[in-house]
Amino acid sequence: MSAGEAPVQTATRTYRPSMGMGWWLRKGHYFWYVVREFTALPLALWLLWFLVEIKRAGGGAAGYSPHGSTAFVVFSAVCLLFALYHSITFLSLAGVIIHVKVLERPVSSRLIVASQFGLWAVASIVIGAVLIGFGR
Amino acid sequence: MAEKRVIIKATRFDPDRDEAPRVQSYDIPFADESMVVLDALNYIKAHVDGSLSYRWSCRMGICGSCGMMVNGTPKLTCNAFLRDYWPRPIVVEPLRNFPVIRDLVIDMDDFMHKLKSIQPWIIRKQELPLGAGEHRQTTAQVDEYRQFSQCINCMLCYAACPVYGLNNEFLGPAATALARRYNLDSRDEGLKLRLPVIASSEGIWECSFVGECSVVCPKGVDPAKAIQQTKLDTTMRFVLPYGNRE
Amino acid sequence: MTGPVGHARTQRPALAHLFWWFMFAQGGVIAAVLIPVHILVQGILGPLKVVPVADRHYDTWVTLLGNPIVKLYLLVLIAVPFFHFAHRLRYLLVDMGVGAAKSVPAQAVFYGGAVAVTAITIWVLLTTVPLSLG
Repeated sequence: MSAGEAPVQTATRTYRPSMGMGWWLRKGHYFWYVVREFTALPLALWLLWFLVEIKRAGGGAAGYSPHGSTAFVVFSAVCLLFALYHSITFLSLAGVIIHVKVLERPVSSRLIVASQFGLWAVASIVIGAVLIGFGR
Repeated sequence: MAEKRVIIKATRFDPDRDEAPRVQSYDIPFADESMVVLDALNYIKAHVDGSLSYRWSCRMGICGSCGMMVNGTPKLTCNAFLRDYWPRPIVVEPLRNFPVIRDLVIDMDDFMHKLKSIQPWIIRKQELPLGAGEHRQTTAQVDEYRQFSQCINCMLCYAACPVYGLNNEFLGPAATALARRYNLDSRDEGLKLRLPVIASSEGIWECSFVGECSVVCPKGVDPAKAIQQTKLDTTMRFVLPYGNRE
Repeated sequence: MTGPVGHARTQRPALAHLFWWFMFAQGGVIAAVLIPVHILVQGILGPLKVVPVADRHYDTWVTLLGNPIVKLYLLVLIAVPFFHFAHRLRYLLVDMGVGAAKSVPAQAVFYGGAVAVTAITIWVLLTTVPLSLG
């Protein structure tokens, strides 16, 4: 019943179905949404590894051995899958949210999304070049 | 040739008699390829079981009354063609995330309240005097908000939204889209009045961009887009001292 | 519970929510644009020795880590996405039915965690390898 208003009708019992915990398993779109949100966890773990890697550089040349185990490569491969899924979904949706006007005309969302992916490509190439270039 | 038939499994709930909703199966003729789920319900009510209760009106997808769950998806039953489901049985349930009053009828008070809270009308600091004539808008100005003005208040988006399902305090897709419709309208000067509601702790920030609301919207309103753009615009208002006062 | 909810409560812009969403958005862009190449090169191609990578040679790695621009880049790369992760994981818990994740203590844990990671990252970057402008 609405608070603060005189009841217009007698209180009829309504039925309130509960949401249940499995709502995200009911539809493919919901499931992939949860996967998208979950990508935060593997990415966080990988970045924490990276922080450890930086810290280890302080231990001197003798003690320094960068991670190279199979387990680590598998972990990275899994994280990469999640990272790619995060990037693709996040940058695609950025096209929905960003609305800009150039000379009074709205820029198409496809162009905005393309620019986001372009930024990703350029950044990856530059950073990749630095990481590999300094490795020689 | 044998007559084509279809099975409709409709939720029944009599608050005076039932503890919980139950399913009742109806086997009816599928006479016409243009039949929609609403036609099936009307056939059932007219010829099979007059006690079945449900809302409907225009039967042409503009009034927003006949929203129900059809095989687990929120749909306008006047827009759900039997031929797309036949020969499988069609499960018709009341719109999810709302209290059920009876059978397929839900309590929409919460939505009505939320709609009113965003003041879905033109707000002016000063009304134009009558002699000044009508508010004039260019096509470009109408294009700014046109998409969000297509909302028919059918509440399918609320049924699709898991955030609303988990938290009934959430303002929700349609209310936010309509708030944006008015905030973007060049005739309107009420953004500051709507801001406390839209940007409250149960407003736009609770949306996690699942996006299902926009998938089910029968009028292409794209409420998910409205909410995300509102998040960005609201943030820019507070971050930039002079800029983007949309 | 029937009928309208919450209308008796005064509503005002939730500036804290606004700020955390803003940080979530920034962190999301940084994570989306920068992280994959690091995982690919440092996590897969480097260890498999497909390409030479800077962090596999001690001298090069230390030289890079001493550079102030590199330090700044690494701070942005590591710390900012954690505000994205904190926000996303907190709301994921809400989606999974953990209502307590909406509470102020939960916000303190998640966003506080991101702040902690930022502080630790700054400390690691400043103490591990000294700043060198050479």
